[in-house]
Amino acid sequence: MSTSLDKVRNIGISAHIDSGKTTLTERILYYTQRIHAIHEVRGKDGVGAKMDSMELERERGITICSAATYCSWKDYAINIIDTPGHVDFTIEVERALRVLDGAVLILCSVGGVQSQSITVNRQMTRYNVPRIAFINKCDRTGANPGRVTAQLREKLQLNAVAIQLPIGLEADMEGIIDLVIMKAVYFDGDNGDIIREEEIPAALKEEADLAREEMLDAVSMFSDELMEAVLEGTPTVEMIRDAIRIGTLKLELTPVMVGSAYKNKGVQLLLNAVGDYLPCPTDVKNIALDLDNGEAEVQVSNQPGDPLVALAFKLEDGRYGQLTYVRTYQGTIKKGETIVNTRTGKKVKVGRLVRMHSDEMEEIEESGSGDIVALFGIDCASGDTFTDGKVNYSMSSMHIPAPVISLAVTPVDNKAQGNMSKALNRFTKEDPTFKTFMDEETGETIISGMGELHLDVYIERMKREYGAELKVGAPQVAYRETITQRAEFNYTHKKQTGGSGQYGRVAGFLEPFDGEYEFVDAIVGGSIPREFISACDKGFQKSMPKGALAEAPITGVRVTINDGASHAVDSSDVAFQLAAIGAFREGYLKASPVLMEPIMKVSAEGPTEFQGAIMGSLNQRRGMIVGTSEEGNYTVVDAEVPLSEMFGYSTILRSLTQGKAEFTMEFSVYRQVPKAVAETVIQERLKNKKK
Amino acid sequence: MQKEDLIAKNPLRVFAQDGAGKEINQRMGLVMARAGLGKTAILVQIALDNILRGHQVLHVSVGASLEKTKVWYDDILQDIAEGAKLEKPQEIRDAVMRNRLIMTFKEAGFTRPKLEERLNDLVYQNVFRPACVVVDGFDFATAGREAVADIRELMTIMDMQVWFSAVVHRDDSRVSANGVPAPCHEVEDLFDTIMLVKPETDSPSLALDVLKDATGCVKPGKALTLDPATYLVKKA
Repeated sequence: MSTSLDKVRNIGISAHIDSGKTTLTERILYYTQRIHAIHEVRGKDGVGAKMDSMELERERGITICSAATYCSWKDYAINIIDTPGHVDFTIEVERALRVLDGAVLILCSVGGVQSQSITVNRQMTRYNVPRIAFINKCDRTGANPGRVTAQLREKLQLNAVAIQLPIGLEADMEGIIDLVIMKAVYFDGDNGDIIREEEIPAALKEEADLAREEMLDAVSMFSDELMEAVLEGTPTVEMIRDAIRIGTLKLELTPVMVGSAYKNKGVQLLLNAVGDYLPCPTDVKNIALDLDNGEAEVQVSNQPGDPLVALAFKLEDGRYGQLTYVRTYQGTIKKGETIVNTRTGKKVKVGRLVRMHSDEMEEIEESGSGDIVALFGIDCASGDTFTDGKVNYSMSSMHIPAPVISLAVTPVDNKAQGNMSKALNRFTKEDPTFKTFMDEETGETIISGMGELHLDVYIERMKREYGAELKVGAPQVAYRETITQRAEFNYTHKKQTGGSGQYGRVAGFLEPFDGEYEFVDAIVGGSIPREFISACDKGFQKSMPKGALAEAPITGVRVTINDGASHAVDSSDVAFQLAAIGAFREGYLKASPVLMEPIMKVSAEGPTEFQGAIMGSLNQRRGMIVGTSEEGNYTVVDAEVPLSEMFGYSTILRSLTQGKAEFTMEFSVYRQVPKAVAETVIQERLKNKKK
Repeated sequence: MQKEDLIAKNPLRVFAQDGAGKEINQRMGLVMARAGLGKTAILVQIALDNILRGHQVLHVSVGASLEKTKVWYDDILQDIAEGAKLEKPQEIRDAVMRNRLIMTFKEAGFTRPKLEERLNDLVYQNVFRPACVVVDGFDFATAGREAVADIRELMTIMDMQVWFSAVVHRDDSRVSANGVPAPCHEVEDLFDTIMLVKPETDSPSLALDVLKDATGCVKPGKALTLDPATYLVKKA
């Protein structure tokens, strides 16, 4: 790996499902000679793409786990993380974008900006990641890169500027016009290995001139030198590239490129653009918190000689122990040296240091700042920061979305039980959005995740990788409870039957609150001694996980205490905790509690002829149609639908639309459950509880 | 303020009933103005007035995205809630969610047959039955009289009222005998109500002039004003 940081690129490849991320990565690896043969994602040879190393990925033709690799192109060293497109595996995108410096946002030239495109764009924005947009599949019938570029502006609010034009589209796609150098580029050879530059075809000259003018108009805003040169009619290739780079790094410009990874067109030009326009590690400001200095923010230096700061962003538990992927932000990790986990304070020795190439490893001796490598045999959690002990910094972790769907799983026999436990321990450690717990009342093991596909994949992996055959129960929705009005409480907890007793009185009120929970101490005159106030808060907080309606977690409550009483001998922390629990119970039922359910933002896309049927099917599911957008012969129906109504919807949608429609959903908001439905849910839960 | 007060005090109520107090359910209305003078805001407020009165509204956006259109509603509702000090603003937002559906079309994609197909889909699937359709972004300059007449016919058959917006261009001075500017000067007879937004000479507000109203709700002349800061409609 080059030690010249300005030639390092850490990039992620993200997009909606089936936009061609893995296919593009396969071509990148081929052209950079990391692999010597191209295999397709759902190829007839059954081998599968390099980055889809899991059997399940190859069978289903989807990427489930992000995969890291590295390659060299010209004098650039590029670390690439290929990510999944399904929202169920969104954590893989979160962790990749957290540690990467730049990204390629792939769009299908037919589908354009789709629902997951919006989600991954939002994720890129969250982590301030500069991006290049690559409009892929220009060989497909219905390809329309111009429309997709307009969608980037309208739907993603990006300043999308085309820096290329296709030469021909659909089956007639022949090559690409590079508007920066104003040449036509063709990709000859069996696998598009040979690049040939020619003059722009006469038929496309006018269109190219116009597009170049638009590009220069937009790009010259980032460079006075370029602007002057444009006015004088003398812009150089270097000036244009510099200006594009400035705009891209400032997150004020998104260069748009075109191609077809499957037909081997445009990938090499994209690699050039990665070097020209995406940031190197020193271009990106990364902040750590100094734990020895009140968590003051410090900017990490990217210097290999400075104290080590590295972030563990992905774990994989394998046969040989835990593989921890780390991004080094500062300093150097050396094999054999000791590093410190700043969360636990534990010192660990770096036994083996490897560079990943999908599922293959290459042993290395050291890794410098800006690098992405993996450590073997180090026990830690995703999001942990490692240093060399000279500094006590913590890098902020990534955003972890809350799970929205749960299933009860039961092993078929004792052997399966043991294997299931091992599997669950591993998977929950690797994936923070996959959670598991034992329901104390039913004894069932509950697994929670981001969607049906998410849980389906883990159940299948438990069966294949751990031999744990499971029975799967009905999906459970993560309900919440909240209050809708203010209610007073005045509760005395008293146990004074001789000897040391317990006494505490707590009075105040509950009221609806915009956040999750807030405790307000409005005690005056010491009616509750100061030392017991935190016990009251603790007691109220203990009441929040299980509401009285359906034993769902309570949210949106502000508790204010404004009066109380204590006993000189019998009052204690425990007494006031119990008093608070009783007070909460008393006030809660008076506060008109309601059940809330997760509402999903559903986006169903299908041929316009099926639009009515799609809307009807969502409407039948208590969905609220927000609107529809026509995209050529396809229509996207956006709706808000309760999660509880969406189970099995993919089968329904498929049969309604002859398999031509697809949908995605992501969590939107919690909303009150209609009374009739709430009563049914509560009755069900009571019935299950009795069982 | 409660929701009922908001309905009663809404300045756009002048268009809801004729002089005899009869509710007007069918109408082809037009809001004209130069670019940036509040056409979309007025259409959104017409839509909101209908929603608050319990009707369902289909908002057709030609050339704009669903998100952008939603933002108009969010912003105007926010301004209304703050200005009127609404007691339960969430109630209004929920009513909007339930009773509004946005449909977006590309410029070339919006035709009467398409609109009819989409409307029938909504009605036959029992998804939505709009009493009012607002169409924002229809290109009168290229559409032609027949296209506009077609849509009027459709609205009559489906017993709906429809409101359009139209852009007036500074450099096109053509105007009808009734003062209706281009590009609608030759189709004014197809509209029951035509309003023109123009800057006032003696104040920063924008005037909402009624050029024509065949429903008998308002007399031609200055009916309302528009606050240029919030684009909220106010009484003149």
